[in-house]
Formats: sequence, C-alpha cells, structure tokens
Amino acid sequence: MALLEIQHLAKSFDGVKAVDHVSFAIEPGTITSIIGPNGAGKTTLFNLVAGFLRRDAGTIHYKGKAIDDLSPSQRAGLGVGRLWQDIRVFRNMTARENLLVAQKHQPGEKISNYLLRYKNVDKLEKQNREAAERVIKFIRLDHKQNSLAQDLSYGQQKLLALGRLLMNEAELLLLDEPTAGVNPLMIDEILALIQMLVKEGKTVLMIEHNVPKAMSISDWVYVMDEGRIELYGSPAEVSSNPLLKEVYLGV
Amino acid sequence: MNYLLHLIVLIELYVMLALSLNLMVGYTGLLTLAHAAFYGLGAYATTLLMVNWGFDFLFALILAIAGTVLLSFLISFASLRFRGDYFILATLAFQVIVFAVLYNWVDLTRGPYGIPGIPKPSLLGIKIDSLLSFSLFGFVVACLIAGFLALIFRSPFGRTLQAIRDDELAATALGKNVMSFKVRSVAIASGCAAVAGALYATYVTFIDPTSFTIDESILMLSMVIVGGTGNLKGPMVGAVMLIVLPELLRFLAIPDAVAANIRLIIYGFLLIIMMHVRPQGLAGKYQFE
Repeated sequence: MALLEIQHLAKSFDGVKAVDHVSFAIEPGTITSIIGPNGAGKTTLFNLVAGFLRRDAGTIHYKGKAIDDLSPSQRAGLGVGRLWQDIRVFRNMTARENLLVAQKHQPGEKISNYLLRYKNVDKLEKQNREAAERVIKFIRLDHKQNSLAQDLSYGQQKLLALGRLLMNEAELLLLDEPTAGVNPLMIDEILALIQMLVKEGKTVLMIEHNVPKAMSISDWVYVMDEGRIELYGSPAEVSSNPLLKEVYLGV
Repeated sequence: MNYLLHLIVLIELYVMLALSLNLMVGYTGLLTLAHAAFYGLGAYATTLLMVNWGFDFLFALILAIAGTVLLSFLISFASLRFRGDYFILATLAFQVIVFAVLYNWVDLTRGPYGIPGIPKPSLLGIKIDSLLSFSLFGFVVACLIAGFLALIFRSPFGRTLQAIRDDELAATALGKNVMSFKVRSVAIASGCAAVAGALYATYVTFIDPTSFTIDESILMLSMVIVGGTGNLKGPMVGAVMLIVLPELLRFLAIPDAVAANIRLIIYGFLLIIMMHVRPQGLAGKYQFE
C-alpha cells in the first residue's frame, strides 16, 4: 500500500492554478524528489499535504486514510513531518530544547498531569532526554546542544530541524529544499543523513533545486511545471528525457 | 516603618502581576494590554462576594479566581484568532470594556463611587489586619505564585509555550495544538492576576475602577519589559524597580505636583534606553524581535 496517495489535487490562488490536478503515490521507504522551476507549485503541494492550505479539489490519503479534513497538527500527529525551506527552528531555545519539545507523547504538557502525576511525567521526561541525546548525536550536534538555535549556522539549523522531525516520530518527511543555502561540505552530510533515515524506515518526499544531488539519492523524480507533473520516473529516465531541459530552460 | 511595609506590600502585589503577565508575554509571545482588567475582575469579584454576600475571604478568593479564569476563556476565544498587532488591539478593547462595565454598572459596582469597607482577609480564623501581618501574608502568596509559575515554566507545558512563542507554524507542524496552549496560558495568567486583585482589595479596603485602567496594564507590561522576560528573575526586578524608583524620586525634592509626570517621563526614557541597550531587559532571557 502506498504511504501517501494524492489524487487530482488542485489549488488556485486568484485564478492562477498553483497545483493543477496532480496525482501520484509515494511508496514507504523511498526517496522521491520533486524538481522544477520557481513557481511550479512545489511548496504549495507541500502545504496541501501538511494541511497548511485547504485544497480546492482532489483527495489526499495517508496510510490509506483520507486526511483532507484534518488540521496540520492532527496530520503531524499521524506522522506527516515537515521541514521548512526557511527552517523555522525555535530560535530562543537551545538545540537540546528544540528536540525535547518535539517529542510527540508528552503528558506533561497537561498541567494537571505535571502537578498531580509528577512521577509518571518525570519518567517520560527522562526517556525524552535520552531520545534527544541519541538524536543529537545522530545529527552530530552534540557539541552544540546547549547553544541557542539562533546561534547555530544555517546548515546546523537544518540538521536541527531534521532532528526535530525524528523526535516527532514523523514517518513521512516533507523536506522543502533541505540543502539550499548550505555550504557544500554540509550538503553531502545532510543528504547522507536523509539516506540513513530512509534505511531506518522513513519515507522522504523532498523539493530540491540541486538537481544532480537530488537525482543521486532519489528513487523517483517528479518534474513539476505550472502546477502539473510534466515528467516522472527513475532518476536515469528523467535525466535522459529531453523534456527536462525544456521545463527548466524553456527551450 | 509603615511606609516601608506599604512599599513591600505593593512590590509583592506587582511581583505577582508581573510574573503572571510574563507567562503570557515572555513565554507565550502574547503581548497583552488587558492584565489590569483581570486584576480588576479579581478585586471586584472578591469584594462583591465578601461585602454583598458575606463570603469568607478564602471562598471569595477561590470563586474570584474561578470566575476570572472562566471569563479569560471568553476573551481567549474572541481574541486569540488574531495574531500580532491585532491581538494587542483585541486585548486593548477588552481592557476598555472591563473598565467601562466596572464604571457604569452602578447597581452592582457603585461605579465611580467605588466600594468602601472591604473586610481585611482572615485565614483559618486569624485576621490579617496589621500592616506587618499583611506584608507577611503577601510575601507567602507571592512566593506561592512564583513557585507555581516556576513549576509551569520548567514543565513540558512551559517548554511548548516557548516553542509557540518562537514559531507558531513550526509548533503546529510538530502536532502542537497551539490554540489550546495559548488558552491555558491566558487562563493561568489571569487566575494569578485575580489573586493579586483579591489581595489588593482586602489590603486597601476600598476599590474603584480607576485602579484598573489601561495605565495599570501598561505599568505591568513596562515592569516585564524593563525587567526582562523569559525567566522568573526579570519581572521581579522590573516590579521592584518601577515601584521603588518613583519613591526614590521623592528624596530628590521634586514637588509632589509634578512627581507623577516625572515618573511617566522616566518610564518613557527607561523603555527607550532599554530597547537600545538591553533589548532583553535588565535580567531577561528572551528578546523581542
């Protein structure tokens, strides 16, 4: 069964079709890249899947269940995780706190639990801290765990945002330009991390402008232009198709 | 000595107010101009229950907290839909409405005449009527509130509030029900403000609406901003400073007639200097953007 199945999804802004009846399915444990020029509707598509925009038409199924009427936080609860293009770390919190807060199951977020069932909350907090420790090592930021997120480098912030998704137990990772603006050395680090995550059972759908890099790690590539999917296939198929150049260069 | 004790009681009250306001402003990122309204609601509810219906202080206090918290839900649902500047305007509207009701509902509140003869509080049969005993009582209550808020700040709940303050959208994308967190933050803050109101009413034994105006709200906000937000220390420092500073001015032999105005001028200067030199406040952690 496909993890994510999108059928005839459409969204317009003032008559401009940002996403124009797009259909596709994502199999679990794969990396799928969406490439295409600016304004192709890629981020809009992500916002529709994550629930930050309401669709005009079409349906989205996640794990076989229609999620069209669920709020963004409900979708996140089901395992749809989102990495933002502008990262959006919690700037005034430390790297470690950024991870701790992302933990999904936190009874201590209810004040009554925290005050009346402190032992239970404390036990889970301990587990939460251990999980955060594992994740921070995994994203190789353990030396920065007590730094404020705003003091981390751009690439480190991206890693932290990825780590946050791991703490959140997201299964489908929607990554909006995970390597944009990151120094070249760190690009490879981030991509390797993404591959590792998929090995551990995550599923990745990412928007990427660095086409060769995207091709190098993806199982599937979708080429989007003017709200439609113009081309899709394995990286080899897509890169050998003359349509790719046409979409990107308009020739 | 009495003068000093009076100052101490004032500081205790404002520490409660500034700390609870900090939960909204510094921890949740909700800049509000309505904290004095909740303070006033607590004061009036306690007073009416004690004076008109003969309630015991403790019961009146508990009911006043409950009533204020219930009202805060109403305000939350009406105003939390708005973000940023619009939220501030909505709280301003609420502040003005509460004042107008207190001022004009003469049958209930006696409007501008105020309510005199509020009994001093008594707990378990012990009457707290001397200045010294009240300052001790205030100290205990302020410590309880500070302790309670410190627990909240340290809790996973408080941590999620900070995440919401820093980036609401990202918090939503992690599955946090942002609205629910904000509503609870406002409820706790207003409940604490109601406690301060109850203490104020029974301390002064006379209340009228002019004690709960927008000026009061701004004063509380100044304390939080001057002192610093995002931790426990900042608002306390702010409260002490903005209470003690105008009192110190008395020793400068400024005529009483202009002292109040000079106080305002100093606030203004302080705030501006603060924003330039120490945007995170004297002892704060979180910096406004």
